[in-house]
Parts: sequence; structure tokens; C-alpha cells
Amino acid sequence: MSLTLARPKQTGSGRDRRIRLEQGRNLTGWLFLIPAALLIGWMSFWPMFQAFVLSLQTGRGTRLNWAQPLWYNYQRLFSDDIFKLTLENTLIYLVVQVPIMLILALILANLLNDRNLRFKGLWRTAIFLPCAVSLVSYSLVFRTMFATDGLINDMLLGLHLVDSPVNWLGETATARAVIIIGLLWRWTGYNMVFYLAALQNLDYSTIEAAKIDGAGSFRTFWHVTVPQLKPMILLTAIMSTNGTIQLFDESWNLTQGGPAYTSMSMSHYLFELSFQKNPNFGYAAALSYAILIIVALLAAIQMKVGDKRD
Amino acid sequence: MNRFSKMAALAVTALLSVGMAACSGGATATSPAATSATSTGPKSGKLTVWAWDPTFNIYAMKEAEKIYQKDNPGFSLEIVETPWDDLQTKLTTLAQSKETKQLPDIFLMQNNAFQKNVINYPDLFSDYAKSGVDFSQFPAGVTAYSTVDNKNYGLPFDNGTAIQALRTDVIKEAGYTMADFTDITWSDFLTKAKAVKAKTGKALLSGQAGSSDLIMMMLQSAGASLFDAEGKPTITNNPALLKSIDVYKQLVDAKVLTEVNSWDEYIGTFVNGTVAGTINGVWIMGSIQTAKDQSGKWQITNLPKLDGVEGATNYSANGGSSWAISSNANYDLAADFLNKTFAGSKPLYETILPSSGAVANWLPMADSTVYSQPQKFFGDQPVFSKVIEFSKQVPKNNTGAYYYEGRDAVSAAITKILNGTDPNTALDEAQKNVEFAMR
Repeated sequence: MSLTLARPKQTGSGRDRRIRLEQGRNLTGWLFLIPAALLIGWMSFWPMFQAFVLSLQTGRGTRLNWAQPLWYNYQRLFSDDIFKLTLENTLIYLVVQVPIMLILALILANLLNDRNLRFKGLWRTAIFLPCAVSLVSYSLVFRTMFATDGLINDMLLGLHLVDSPVNWLGETATARAVIIIGLLWRWTGYNMVFYLAALQNLDYSTIEAAKIDGAGSFRTFWHVTVPQLKPMILLTAIMSTNGTIQLFDESWNLTQGGPAYTSMSMSHYLFELSFQKNPNFGYAAALSYAILIIVALLAAIQMKVGDKRD
Repeated sequence: MNRFSKMAALAVTALLSVGMAACSGGATATSPAATSATSTGPKSGKLTVWAWDPTFNIYAMKEAEKIYQKDNPGFSLEIVETPWDDLQTKLTTLAQSKETKQLPDIFLMQNNAFQKNVINYPDLFSDYAKSGVDFSQFPAGVTAYSTVDNKNYGLPFDNGTAIQALRTDVIKEAGYTMADFTDITWSDFLTKAKAVKAKTGKALLSGQAGSSDLIMMMLQSAGASLFDAEGKPTITNNPALLKSIDVYKQLVDAKVLTEVNSWDEYIGTFVNGTVAGTINGVWIMGSIQTAKDQSGKWQITNLPKLDGVEGATNYSANGGSSWAISSNANYDLAADFLNKTFAGSKPLYETILPSSGAVANWLPMADSTVYSQPQKFFGDQPVFSKVIEFSKQVPKNNTGAYYYEGRDAVSAAITKILNGTDPNTALDEAQKNVEFAMR
């Protein structure tokens, strides 16, 4: 019924009438927006506000009091060795994994966009398929594969590349490496799909023109394709940064944060503080705000650096 | 037009989903049927229970239901399978949001988590003061887990008494019998384990790297803990802890303890026969018995004790769980049910023992004929009555509300110590981290 209201009426013209019509339309639009907006406000922003209030409180369990000073929980973050360690771990994942993944995704997208490639659908599906796997199950499969008596060690031993099994998940460096490998496997295809979509919107003539001008395939890729993909690269970079900083499943299922917290992510630590240890929800809420601030800052920097559009 | 219809669709979907959420919320919020029970005569009503293992504690609950139903035909249970991690998360969420109406009548809780939950969320529990349960019929070391301010909040279910289980055929190759591993000290154990390793190439122990289970068992065997009576961490200047870590490091260095990374791998080490023994809570017998081909080759005995530590014994415990009555319970019915089954029914424990290996904490079971029957898998040893004998001698220690913080800090310290950090430095750091967590 509301739809008929919004339908532009054919009769009548004149400025006043058009304005009233426009207003009416806008009003209907807002009317439609209100339920969703209220829901988002109620289910997303209100809890966020509550979490902020919570982050200004201290105490265990339900015995919460206002912190003295109010920002006590935020101050506490700076003297928390385990938080610093988890921050460092998360940043390592970010700095190592995101660039490798995006570059790989770009290269793969470019290869799969080749017009002469056969079985395109097959390759695309194969590379995208990991994204259909649940985070928990792939983490568990990786844990089994990288166990001391797992598939990877059996292969390495069989090929005589190592003399004794590598304790992948028991050493800091290798445990972090396994998490990064897992993330690459799981997310490269996902980002590739974004690039593929963007590539299909590119004017193929630009690439053809570059080829006719005698540019090699790398030069064409770097100077013609990549600049045109920039908005998409920015989008994927922000999404991956956001995802990596909130990393939880891999840290929880693959390494359980070990050895000695050296592969634990920030979100995993947050979970521990709330549900595994003595529930310290005030502090956990402060930690979640710290994560939010880090994500926001990084996204802002990326937009500043990456997006030259006005 | 297109945008309008999209918006409309969105708005409608959003509203619909809210409606559905509201409906389903209403549907799940069934309050436990609280048919009031009279104090005498058969009781009727339905109790909701949260527990996590269908072959173990849920199975035991179902058997208990059958036994209680004989006298109270109108009684029934609704058991909801809830893995321990989820159960803890649910309890925390319900307590935090003050939705205690959603609690079941009875839930199972890990002994090590009891203090933490009762102290932080007293609103979740009903104590056992008016239940009529005689707690003197349970070992003091076990009821201590769930006792806060001299009030009992948990009825001990499965026994966590620690045992040393060994492959008799393997130690025999090095000329030893079970007697050589009974009532010994850790230094004796080390010498003998090295001899077994030299002769057979097999380690006698295995464990998860970064897990301090064995250390915690050693600590408790001397009545020591990571916390003093006031709940302050005592990770530094704790002779029992230093000694335990020293023993652990020697075991790893001598390669008589194999470190693996996951629980499955740990179970695999002795089921596959690469490791010829293990030290853990008695519930580990269930896993040992999955190695059908090793039947008759295993036996159990008590633990080695720490050398030169005051109060050291050969007995300890790891894990175990207890039944809690929630604050939302039909208290009279729940208390009466638990009192007549888990704290008063020999037939119950006699039924569940052979089929699930759930060893009772209830002391009157010690002279039950079922418990004293020789077990074929364990070389015709009467393992279960042995365990009940051990359980009486387990020293009690204080787990404290910050047990998990303490345990994890010590685990991290052990990882560092094994990588060459000086023990005192690593433990200082652990103490600092626990103090920080408690601040």
C-alpha cells in the first residue's frame, strides 16, 4: 500500500508539486529505513555503547564497580605483558600474511583471467573452495597435518628433507608459520574472487593496447592492470586487515595460543579473559575497544594512502 | 522503484527475523517444570540436567534416573548434552546477564573450576546445607574443591584420583615388576625409567607440551598448591613447585617423558605402544582400555613421591567433576534425587562402573564386590578398590578462584624453562602475571 503512495503521479507538474512529491518519496524512504535502522541501533550500537560503559568498570563476575580512575582498564593494557605479546603476534600475522595473500590473489586472478585458459571454471572453483570450509574444521585438519606424527612430517621424512620430525606446533616460529600458512590457504581464493570480478569489468582494450605497444606481460600487469584494480585492492586490504586483527579461530583451534602464549591472537586473549579465566568483563571490554581502535586506525591509514579519489 | 522494493524487502525481512527471534526465544525459555514435591512419599516432577559426556556422566545420570524412578514413578530427567567449554560459557553468560531463570536444576562442573564459579557467581548455586547429603562419606580432598566458606556446593561425581599405569611386559624386559614402582620416590622412578628406556627404547611417560597437569599432580601429592590459604599466589619461593619442575625437566631431558602437542597424540602414545605407561587421573583407564591388543599387560599403582619435600605422599588427583544444584532448581526434588542416587545408591555405582569406568568418590563403595572384582585388562588386578583406597589418602590442596590463571602461568614458565630460561626467572614472571591477573 505504501508502494502506491510512493509511485510518481503522472498528473500535474510545477515546482511546488514536484517538491512535495520528492518530500513524500523521501518520507516513505525514511519510513522504510526506520525498522532496519532501529534494529541496527538496538542490536549493534546499543551493545557497543554498553560495552564501552562496561570497559570503565572493574571487578570479577557480576561484582562490578566503576573503575578508579575511569580509564583504569585502558591503562592496565599498557602494563599487561600477555596483551603486548598477543598484540605483537597479531601484528606479525598481519604484516607477513596480508601482503603475501593479496599479491598471490592478484597473480592468481590475473592468470585465471587469461582468455585462452582452458577449464577456467575448474581452476576458479578449486582455488575458491577453501572458503567454503568452516574455520574450525580447517584449523583442526591443519593441526592434524602438522602434528609431530602428521602428514607433513611423514612427507618431509619420506623425502629425507629432515632427520627427525619437526615439532611444528611446539616452537614459536613454526607455530606462527603454520597459522600463517593456514590463513593463506583459507583466504587467498576469497580475495582472488574480488580481483577476478574487478578484472572482468576492466576494459580489455587497455590491456590489448599495452600488448600492441610492446609491453611484456609483467609490465602490462604492473602498469596497466594493477592501477585499474586499485579501489578493489584497497577494499581487500582493509577487509583482510580487519579480519586478521580479529583473528580467533586459528589461534584457538590450531595452536591453542601455545607455546607459552607466543601464537595467541588478541581476540583469543579476550575470550580467555571473559570465559576461561576469572571473568574480567570490564577489562575484556577495554581490550575489545583497543582492537576496534587499531582496526579503525589502520583502515584510516590505508584509505589515506590508497584512495586518491576525491 | 527497484530501490523501494529492495528497502521494503529488507524492512520486511528484518521485522520477520525479529519476530522469529522473539518466538524462538519464547520457546526455549521454558522454565523447568516445578511440580512441588511433598517431603514424604513418592516424589514426582521433572528435572533438567546439563552434563557433557554421553558415555560417561550423561550415561550415569540416566542410570540414576532409572533407579530413582523405581520409588518415584512420576519422576523424570531431561538431560541436555552440553560440552564443558560451552557449559562454562553458558553459565558465565547467564550469570552476567542475570538470567538465572534459564538455568537447569542440576549441572555438572569440573572440580578445578568450582571455586572460581562459586566465588564469582554465587547467584548460580544452591548449597547442600539442607540436602541431607552426608559429605563425610566422600574423601576430604575431593569435597574441598567445591567447598567455599565451609559450605558444600558440589556432590562429587567421578573420581580424579591419580594412578600410575604401566605396561608390565615392558618393564619386565628391564627386570622390574610393579612392586619396583610402588611407594617409590621420583629419583627412584627416574633411575628405573632410564633403565627401561635403555633396554626397550620406550619412554614410560608422555604428556602434552605446555600443559602442567603432571606438575599440578606432583604439587598436590605434597599437599602444596600455587595459592596459599588466603588465595595469594605462591609461585615464587615454593619448594614443592621448584622440585616438581626440576623433576619434570629431568624426565624430559632423559627422554623418559615424551612431549606431544595435542590430547589425541597423548592418548596415541600409549595406545600405539610407543610409550609404556602414564600418570593421570583414574579416568584415563577408559582411554588405556581402547587398546584391546594390550589387554592383560597393564597394571596400576600409586605415584612416585617428591624427594625431600615436606608432606610429600604417593597420592594425588587430577580432574574429576561434581554435581551442582542451581539457584533456579526445584531444590527439594533435586537434593532428594542426588542424595538417594549419587550419595546413596550402591546399585547405581555398581551398574555404571563396569560399563563406563566411572569410579565412585562415595566411600561406602570401597567394600562393594563389584569394585573388588579383578579386571582382566589390568592383569587381573582389582584396580577399582585400589583406586578407592588411594583416594582416601590424597592430600587436599587449595585450588582457589584463580586456579586457571596459576596453572596457565606455570605452563608458560615450564615451556620457557625447558627452552633454557632459569627456573627462578621464569617463575618470577609467572608470579607477576598471576598477580597482575588478580589485580
